[in-house]
Amino acid sequence: MSPETIAVENLSKTYQVPEREGGFSAAIRSFFKRKYKDVKAVQNVSFKIQQGEIVGFLGPNGAGKTTTLKMLAGLLHPTGGKANVLGFTPWELRNEYLLSMTLVMGQRNRLSWDIPAADSFLLNQAIYRLPDDQYKQTYKELDELLELEPLMKKPVRNLSLGERMKCEIAAGLLHRPKVLFLDEPTIGLDITGQARIREFLREYNKRTGATILLTSHYMADVTALCERIIIIHHGQLKYDGGIGDLSRRIAPFKLIGVLLAESNSHNLARYGTPVQNEEDAEKQYIQVKAEDVTRVTSQMLSELPIHDITITDPPIEDVIERAFNE
Amino acid sequence: MLKIFQRLWQVNWAEQWQYRANLIMYLFYWLVSPIIYLAVWTSIANSKGSVNGFTANDFITYYMTLLIVDQITSNIVIHTFAYKIQDGTLSGELIRPIHPMLTNALVNNIAFKMLTIMGLIPIWIVLALLFKPDYASLTWQGILLAIPVMIVGFFISFLLSAAITSLAFWTTRVYSIHEFYYALILLFSGQFVPLTLMPQVIQNIAQYLPFQLFMYYPIQVILGKLSTAQIIQGYVTAGVWFVISIVFFNWVWRNGVKQFSAVGA
Repeated sequence: MSPETIAVENLSKTYQVPEREGGFSAAIRSFFKRKYKDVKAVQNVSFKIQQGEIVGFLGPNGAGKTTTLKMLAGLLHPTGGKANVLGFTPWELRNEYLLSMTLVMGQRNRLSWDIPAADSFLLNQAIYRLPDDQYKQTYKELDELLELEPLMKKPVRNLSLGERMKCEIAAGLLHRPKVLFLDEPTIGLDITGQARIREFLREYNKRTGATILLTSHYMADVTALCERIIIIHHGQLKYDGGIGDLSRRIAPFKLIGVLLAESNSHNLARYGTPVQNEEDAEKQYIQVKAEDVTRVTSQMLSELPIHDITITDPPIEDVIERAFNE
Repeated sequence: MLKIFQRLWQVNWAEQWQYRANLIMYLFYWLVSPIIYLAVWTSIANSKGSVNGFTANDFITYYMTLLIVDQITSNIVIHTFAYKIQDGTLSGELIRPIHPMLTNALVNNIAFKMLTIMGLIPIWIVLALLFKPDYASLTWQGILLAIPVMIVGFFISFLLSAAITSLAFWTTRVYSIHEFYYALILLFSGQFVPLTLMPQVIQNIAQYLPFQLFMYYPIQVILGKLSTAQIIQGYVTAGVWFVISIVFFNWVWRNGVKQFSAVGA
């Protein structure tokens, strides 16, 4: 087996999407002659992930994240390129492969809508050929972390979004997969719930050495879990590397926050670009180039009635936003 | 594997019970057309004495048997599966290490069948008291010979419907194709009219098609109307169509999954 758990080479997926103008006559025309548009969802994406890594997969809506995850999980056949996960080509959907990976995606996946989650869990035990003692042990661990027990007896349709997500994740992990593809694993959860899932994933990764590739809209998920991130935009790979390097490479900026004696009477725009910082509304913030920080700071200190001053990195969201827009 | 089917059964059985009112309505809907054919043919036979040798009593016996045979051999896979391809909910099942169609959908169909048969029994008894079918020709041998035929008939009907349902991988919607397929069943299975009353050409075609295995052929076996040679010919036809439908379904499924676009979340 290759040393990489996941190896992706020039992976591409082009969808053919039927296209027509709005309106009645256009509808009739399209009945006789359909026009198709090629949508390049993923273009020549290549990366390698080693065993035990947790990698954040980022990009705006429609960037191709989910399409890539679906290809790696075997749901979609690519239109080009290769992928190898645990020595298997995912879209061959071999049982050995399906037994050792999981894809958690959305809230309606592994659980049967009309029956209590407990029944779906038992079904999964059989489907994944789990011996009773192993199943009970895994269930106990999942229950400790996610507090599943109170949810297990209710029909899944009566659970809240967050409750369902917890059950979905647990159902996807009962067979202790070696590779986890997680599409928005904390969506719909409250802050505590999100923190629990993160804690759980970190623990699971540490204990089992599992490889995790996850997408998330909550930057906290990514900063808490991932040392490495991969960014794609318009189906193309934009960045692959450490989360710390990202700000240096893509946004060599610092934020200077100042608390002034008479806050409204000074125009900070001449020192740098004024920005909002929602976490700290008391101070006024400007953004300056990293190499100008010392000069601008001393200038401000000498010219303004400053009570307090801080110098910080820009928030990761802004950095990534900048990366998308490049 | 046994345990998988056992758990699938528990889940699907429980699911079907959730919708028992819906199931009863389905049963009534499904009973309407055979009962209409029964009523129409019986009154025609009554007014003319017989239709090509078929007396009113023959029609009653034929259609009363059809009610049971059809319930055993029919399937609802189009209704329980096509939408999963359409809206992408199949994704969750496709990445489980079991075949979505040949395990879950199959068990689901059988669970549904069990419940509808349970619902059918009291209705059938009432209808039997009303119409008084003549089962004088019924033999144990006939029933025993018909059981394997009905089981294979069900599998053929399931696999062919499953293949048509899988066309949704390409076309997204398959209900109209299935309607056409259903029209073929109506004509060639002996539901619309017992096949012996059809023009000779249609009878000749029908005996090589799988549809008669769903209704006409098992009914005739049960009622002891066939010669040994005809029974053997039916068994051979059933065997051949069973193999064809396995190969055909597998081919459509394997190529279809490549087309799957896993839409939705």
